Amino acid sequence: MKALVLAAGKGEGLYPYTKNQQKETISILGKQIISYALEGIKKAGVNEAIIVTNDQTKKDLEINVDISYEIVNQKTPEISGAVKDGMEKIDDETFLLAFGDIIAPPEFYMSLMNSYVTGSSKAVFSLVPVYEGMQTYGLAKIIDNKIEITKENTTLALAGAYIIPKGDFTDLLEYFKSLSNSSRYFIWSGKWIDIGYPEDLINAIELLLSDKKTIISENAEISKTAIIGKGIIIDDKAIVDDYAVIKGPAYIGKEAYIGSYSLIRDYTSIEANVKIGAYTEITHSLIGEKAEIGSKSYLTFSVVGKNTKIGASTITVSYPANPVRSKENKLGALISPGEEIPHGSIIGPNFKK
Amino acid sequence: MCGIIGIIAKDKKEALASITVQCLERLEYRGYDSVGIASIKNNQIEIRKAKGKLEEVVKKLNILSMSGDTFLGHTRWATHGEPTDYNAHPHTDCTNSIAVIHNGTIRNFNELKEELISLGHTFKSETDTEIIPHLIEEFKKRGMKNFEAFQSAVKAIQGTYAILAIIKDEENKIYFAKKDNPLVIGIADKMNFISSDIPSFLPYTNKIIILIDGDIGYITNKEVYIENFGKPVKIEDRTKIITWDASAASKEGFEHYMLKEIHESPIAVEDTISGMIAEIDKIKESVKLINSARRIIVTAAGTSYHAGLLFSILLQREGYNALPIIASEYYNLKTTEEDVILAISQSGETLDVIQAIKKFKQNGSSIISLTNIIESAIARESDVKLYTRAGPEIGVAATKTFTSQVAALMLLYNFISQKDYSYLSKIKEIIRYALNYQGEARLIGEELSTKNNAYYLGRGLSLPLAMEAALKIKEIAYLHAEAYPAGESKHGPIALVEKGFPVIFINDGELTEDLQNNVQEMKARKAITYGISVNKKLNTDKELLLTTDEKLSIFAIIPIIQLIAYYASVKRGNDPDKPRNLAKTVTVE
Repeated sequence: MKALVLAAGKGEGLYPYTKNQQKETISILGKQIISYALEGIKKAGVNEAIIVTNDQTKKDLEINVDISYEIVNQKTPEISGAVKDGMEKIDDETFLLAFGDIIAPPEFYMSLMNSYVTGSSKAVFSLVPVYEGMQTYGLAKIIDNKIEITKENTTLALAGAYIIPKGDFTDLLEYFKSLSNSSRYFIWSGKWIDIGYPEDLINAIELLLSDKKTIISENAEISKTAIIGKGIIIDDKAIVDDYAVIKGPAYIGKEAYIGSYSLIRDYTSIEANVKIGAYTEITHSLIGEKAEIGSKSYLTFSVVGKNTKIGASTITVSYPANPVRSKENKLGALISPGEEIPHGSIIGPNFKK
Repeated sequence: MCGIIGIIAKDKKEALASITVQCLERLEYRGYDSVGIASIKNNQIEIRKAKGKLEEVVKKLNILSMSGDTFLGHTRWATHGEPTDYNAHPHTDCTNSIAVIHNGTIRNFNELKEELISLGHTFKSETDTEIIPHLIEEFKKRGMKNFEAFQSAVKAIQGTYAILAIIKDEENKIYFAKKDNPLVIGIADKMNFISSDIPSFLPYTNKIIILIDGDIGYITNKEVYIENFGKPVKIEDRTKIITWDASAASKEGFEHYMLKEIHESPIAVEDTISGMIAEIDKIKESVKLINSARRIIVTAAGTSYHAGLLFSILLQREGYNALPIIASEYYNLKTTEEDVILAISQSGETLDVIQAIKKFKQNGSSIISLTNIIESAIARESDVKLYTRAGPEIGVAATKTFTSQVAALMLLYNFISQKDYSYLSKIKEIIRYALNYQGEARLIGEELSTKNNAYYLGRGLSLPLAMEAALKIKEIAYLHAEAYPAGESKHGPIALVEKGFPVIFINDGELTEDLQNNVQEMKARKAITYGISVNKKLNTDKELLLTTDEKLSIFAIIPIIQLIAYYASVKRGNDPDKPRNLAKTVTVE
């Protein structure tokens, strides 16, 4: 069986960030979002994937998963078109369709395959209970042990990984509907996040770090005066300078630099080659690769794109905000890849550049 | 939900009897009450079978001494006929030439049995399965070859089945057929398996073929033949490699058995109601006993007690003298021969309930039991044996069995009060409807998971549900929760309520206005109030409002309270299937 992984969506919920970078290629905890799906697919026993992308994604894609894959450029519009374009490369009757913007553990994909293999249905749909911000791809109801695609009277959503037969269709949801009589479903109650909005990226860090133990690479340079808390991952060649406090839970990526007296706390992911100046505090934030954060800054509930420059003494404000999918009423800044923020800026909440 | 295994091998170092037993061990989770093994050697079929646990039966019948290259193994969950040695599978024909194991139900077995008896066949069991070897024997007598005879037998039966058969003149072949019950083939080196579930043979192979309805065929030690509605199936197309562990495979995608079993509730209720109606004489007998009784004592423990309490309320409303009593408190009650005891237990083995009914029996009281296990210890002590048919439940905290108990008791209540019970057929639909609100249940469960204490309050029929909700969240999320009649809350419990204290109101729509006053009382103390409401809103801080048939509103609530506990447990990082300090069957004082 092959997997068809979608990674060409517009990602409007993350605008303007996703004008410069496809969301599936955003790195969280040192791994691109799409890699989480590919890792799971591989563990579910699928060794070949077709990735439907666009030119932008192709450029940024870094796949470190041991899976053989082929990239297909999306020609036909919308999600239905992407699936149809990818399906042309699939010879088997049935395939695993996965959304490249879902972060879930491998067990999610294994459960999907497991459900398919242990039953005799043509199709299997994964569902998740959702409550806040139900703007997911589609909602589903269980009627007579089968699923029905719907828009109301349910808090179950399609979870972004399915096993379905190849077919001729113009609308994917209509196609899902047509399969419902010969399908089965399962409800995923474990970790799962659909990356659609800035807060999803922030929540994903929390989800991924929530049960992690501290792991510090032998090649990392940690000053003797630095303080390292619990649930911290420090990757190869990262440098944590004198008196910095990594309170955590947090991830410090490869070759990242944390300046003296800085404080990194509460579910923060500092990606590879990031430079953080002295006396800077970062919390609940994602700092993309090669970003530079000036000294004496304070970033909270924010997403900073790769190659971004944040001037010294920049302060983000996160409250009050109105995030679509978060229990907390907080959201700081969303700074797109390559952007610059002048020194001394006070920005947010809900600031987007 | 029987466990089926067939193994065929050549030149294996490890004895097949031992492998068969190991495979059956891995099917034990499905629940069973008797065990049987068949093998062929030198064109002779040998069968050893008995009632009891696998370990005991293997020891008692010295099963490990059986030899041969072809084995069938079976664990039986009794549905037709008591769990006895003679009803255990495999079943054979008149000449012991054909052995069959089967999972499922054969609807037309009475007609076929009569026909076969008229043709001179002799039956040795009360099971529906036994008609299959006799049918094969009959078709063989008419000149058919083995496979053709097997196919004709399968064609003759109506119902659901996963069947394995061996025939003594074909030492190296296991025939199979599948409809509505699971069967999966495992392909190993010089060895093939066929089983009701993948985990049974997973240590030997991960190369599998899932059979689909209508598949019929045979396996040998090196060949698999399948045809579907007469058309041969390409084996390569169906072969799959699986990569996960055994325990995950039987959860069918769900992360925990508990969640899977909550989703099985609609079927469990449907099977329970149709099973009880099929044995309507037992209901009538129960009604007769209850109507002639001075008092109806409803005794049970834990979750079953809550089902019993709900039933007592229904009877009390009809003017009956119904008295719910927690089984372990049986010594406080003196019963007489004019009393009828209704004993409820999921396993039918709960020691507290056994002790209670033994004492009440000594006083001359009649016993009606409601259990999920045919001929369980409690059923054996009873004058009338009623059964829920929820199937085996693996999660320790009762979920689908509770829903089935409540459905069974509602049916009984309708017969007692001479009301039309046809509306109960909608229960299935109502539970499914409620299951669609898992996102809201999850939200409440996850919020509660951050708290240390909670109150569940209800009135009328919602009170037993509030009690069950509090018990469930205690059992699996280890969250301290208490349930009270909402009206009672101001007589003490309210003293604990302060800012942010969670109070969950269960509102089946019947006494909403009274409950609304209680909500205000709690809000005035700055409690955070939740409502699980049907048809009428309580105006709590957070409220899940479901709409459904008011007579069955409690069935919309049950899955929600179970899901709240489930998600609270998962959020706290617990394993909801195996709560600490609890066992599935309580057999100690």
